[in-house]
Parts: sequence; C-alpha cells; structure tokens
Amino acid sequence: MVPRYDTARPAADHGRTPAPRPLRSVEAMIRAERLTKRYGDRTVVRDLSFTVRPGTVTGFLGPNGAGKSTTLRMILGLDAPTRGTATVDGRAYAGHPAPLTRVGALLDARSFHPGRIAFHHLMALAHTHGIPRSRVEHVLGVTGLTEVAGRRVKGFSLGMGQRLGIAAALLGDPAAVVLDEPVNGLDPEGVRWVRTLLRDLAAEGRTVLVSSHLMSEMALTADRLVVIGKGRLLADTTVAELVRDAGAASVLVVSPDADRLRTLLPAPARTSDEGPGTLRVTGLDAPAIGRVAAAHAVELHALTPETASLEQAFMDLTHDSVEYQGAPA
Amino acid sequence: MTTISYDITPSRVLRSEWHKLWTLRSTWITVVSAVLLVLGVGVLMGTTYTSDGGDSDVDTVVLTLYGSQLGGVCLAVLGILVTAGEYSSGLARATFTAVPARLPVLWAKAAVLGTTVLTLSLLTNLATFLTAQVFLGDTDQAAALTDDGVLGALAGNAAGLTLLSLLALGLGAALRSVPGALGAFIGGVLVLPEVIGMLPYDAVDTALRHFPTQAAGVLGSATPLPDAPSAGAALLALTLWAAAALTAPALLLRHRDVRG
Repeated sequence: MVPRYDTARPAADHGRTPAPRPLRSVEAMIRAERLTKRYGDRTVVRDLSFTVRPGTVTGFLGPNGAGKSTTLRMILGLDAPTRGTATVDGRAYAGHPAPLTRVGALLDARSFHPGRIAFHHLMALAHTHGIPRSRVEHVLGVTGLTEVAGRRVKGFSLGMGQRLGIAAALLGDPAAVVLDEPVNGLDPEGVRWVRTLLRDLAAEGRTVLVSSHLMSEMALTADRLVVIGKGRLLADTTVAELVRDAGAASVLVVSPDADRLRTLLPAPARTSDEGPGTLRVTGLDAPAIGRVAAAHAVELHALTPETASLEQAFMDLTHDSVEYQGAPA
Repeated sequence: MTTISYDITPSRVLRSEWHKLWTLRSTWITVVSAVLLVLGVGVLMGTTYTSDGGDSDVDTVVLTLYGSQLGGVCLAVLGILVTAGEYSSGLARATFTAVPARLPVLWAKAAVLGTTVLTLSLLTNLATFLTAQVFLGDTDQAAALTDDGVLGALAGNAAGLTLLSLLALGLGAALRSVPGALGAFIGGVLVLPEVIGMLPYDAVDTALRHFPTQAAGVLGSATPLPDAPSAGAALLALTLWAAAALTAPALLLRHRDVRG
C-alpha cells in the first residue's frame, strides 16, 4: 500500500550532497499583536505584543506556566486567540498556501503516533506539501536520526523524540522556525547541537523563535529576548541590555593599599568595602582602575570585573510572576 | 529552472492520509481481523448448515455474512483510531500545523477509510458467498450470484459496513478520545437500539428500523425483510446517520482549539 522504508538501504549520502534546492523564498517576520487567551475565567496570555525578526535568534523566556506554549500554539493557528492577532509575514499562519515552508514548528509535547516509524511520520507530513522523499532523508540526516528512521517512535528516548520534532520542523525548509523548549531531554552533546543549529538557521537569514524557562540556556543562544510572566510581557530586549538594566557592572579590587586606592579613584567611581583589603567599585571599569593604580604605584592582587548574573536578572524580572514559589527548606 | 509549488492541495492531503493509514500496524490488524471474521463465520455457516435445522427461513446472504456483525466492529474500531487516535497520541498537533485549514484532513480521512472499507468488504463478501456456497450447494440455501437480490445484498452489506465505519470515524473526530468514541459507538449504535426496542410503542418500532445497524441489516438482505423499510430508504437513513456523524466534528473542527 505504501512503499516500505528500507533500512538496509541507507538514506543516500546526505551531508555530502548539498541540500535539495531551498524551498524558501522570502523571509518571515512573526508578530504578535495584543494577543489574549482565556480558558474559562483563567487568562493565560494577556495583551501580549512582540515582533520576531529574521536573522536573529529570539529567546522566548518565562517561568513554567507563563503562557509560552499557548502563545506559540496561537502563532501556529492551533489555538484561537480570545483577542488580538498573530501573524507570519503579515498573514495568519493558516492563511499561507504552503505553511510548512513559512514556519517549521516543534511543539512542547510529543506530536507523533507511537506506532509509526520515524521515516513514515515525516513522509506523511511531507506528502501534504508535495515535499520529496529526498528532503525527508535529508532532515533525518541533519538531526542524526538516519540510523533509527526505521524504528517505531514509541521506542524513542525523550531526546530522540525532540530530534524527530526538530526534523519535522525543518521539513519544509522554512523561513522561520518556532521551537518550544527544544533542549528538553537532550544530552549535553544534543544541547550543543541545538545551539549550533539555531545559530546557523539565524545566520542563514531565518527567523528563529525558541522558548525556554532556563535563562542560562538562552544566554548562550539568543540575541534578543522576549520575557513573559503570567501571560504578560515583562521585557522585550537584548541579552546585553537585560544584564545592564538588571544591575550595574562592578569590579572587585583586592589590594593591601585599598584605603589609599579608594581616595585616588576619580568620579563617578563609588566604592564599598567587601572585607579587609577588598573594594567593590562601580562606575569605573577595570582598565581605568588599573591605570589609576599603576599611576600611583598601588599594589593590586586582584582586579575582577563582575557582571550581574543573567540568572539573577531573570529571577528579579519574573519573581512576581512565578506560579509556585518554593520556600527555603 | 522550474519552480515546484509546495502548496497544500486536496490530492496531497489525500496522499498524506493514505500514507498514515497504511503505516500503522493497527490498520492491518483491524482490516485482516475483519476479513477473517467474515470469511471464517461464512465458512462455519456453510459447513454446519443442515436443511432441516430451522434456519431455512433465513435469507441466504444474511446467513452467509453473519460474520460481518463482528467484522463491522473491527472496522468501526479502525474508523475511530483514524481520527481519535491522532488526538490521544498528539499527532493532531503536527497534522493541523501541516494542514491548518483542518477540514481537508477530515474529508481525506473519510475518503481514504471509505474507499478502503468499501473495496475490501465487497471483495470479502463475494469471496465469502462463493466459498459458503461450495458447502451450501446441495441444501435449501443453494443460491447463485445471479439470483434475485444476491449481488445487491452483497454490495448493500458492504455499503452498510462502509457507512458504519464512517459513522465511527465521525464519532472519533467529535469526541477526540479512543475509549470515549468506542463507548459511544458500542453504547449508542449497537446497544441503545436494543434497549429502546423494549419500549411498547409502534412509533418507536418504526424509528428503530431506521437506526444504523437495522438499516445496515436491511441493506444486507437479498429478500425484503418483514416490516422493514425499502433498501433505498435504509441506504438513505444510514447515509444521513454517517453524514450527521461527520458534520458535527466538521462544524467543531474549524474553531476548536487543538489542545494538548
């Protein structure tokens, strides 16, 4: 009835042959405008507006239950907004004649039938757009699933399931990708692979929107950040800006002559004591402090620039919107 | 260089649903079970039949295809798995991301299942009748394909099975749960008419004869059943049941969230 997937015949020589002709034509901008979603009397997303631009990785960040998945499902037309609109290239996702070539998506939970082998899962999706078998084999290769393409998905680990989801997202060579918590369940090697993949996709000019509840992960991958909490927009910013706003950078100085150094530092430097012979200096960067010390022959044992931790910045930002807070044990 | 269009088309959605149907083991299990049950019971009926055993007044085709009541349940399960199975596994999310218009998916599923069940049951019914007749040839149930109403009843039985499986497919799409739809099919389609039939009103009896299983029974009989609607009326009734079962999810599908 359906051509068998022959596991003995390896899927050609992907990796060495160039990818099939790109299906992509123009770039896609994702825009949410005053998105609101209510389930009964619970408002999950409230008046949320943001824009995701091509060529960058945009991190979609928020604590668990912040409304990230719901927002992504509204962008993909799976859930209907109570109010507001979500568009891709100025059009609702569902209004595109070949949506898989506009946006490829990995959604939070498993989106495949456990009894089907990975190859057939992808092939069934590919058929809806007339995407050729060679492209299916290509994305299997890209995601490292070629070896297991003939296996039933029910035997897949969480990480393999994520890879299959990413393979499905890449199927249409889309102008934009939307990935919900893509590193969940991946081993360290897989996490690194996802980071590189996202960076590469953005470098090719694609729009990349990736959600996470882990700031540390986003710090390594994202250029821009859209932070939400309890369904509201908390920040639409860059990683650098978020850190700068979260607290001024400071420099930790250790010197046997700390008291003298304190008097020598010019404005706008402010200092505070951090123990014997240790100063925390704000308002002046490490090179400037070093120059002052050298000019006055002040002996330095340490000169350490410290930025506010991104994790702390995120915690400060979302503190009020965390659904369940743990108390110190 | 020619540009290939990757637009979604009805034939591409059909191809996708055909691919989905035949790449699951459950499809093969339900289909093969249905065929074997109909054939097996048919052969059993043929080999055990005796002319003076009290079954002489039973319609030959009905007698031969007793197994299709069991086979029909297998095919209903298949219909439910085709739709509800996508929700329980989460595949619905991927499906409706690929085809966000959603309705073409439902029509394609119905077309693929309908074609499959109709073709298979036609062939199975023919084979079962011919096999059973090998054993029934020298009894009072001897019949030929060319006898009055025989071909019509074999085809009618297949049409009945097809429409019942489409009804189940619609229930699966509306309820989005395999156990839920299975319960609704067994309770609502198989059991409920028997319960209502105990009510002592004539109007109830008339209405009951147009219920899905009863209508399917009329379609599968070579000789007109007493007090039953005509084959045409039965076909119309069953078609309306199936259409109603498909319309409900079609109306819901457009605007209902694909949760999960």
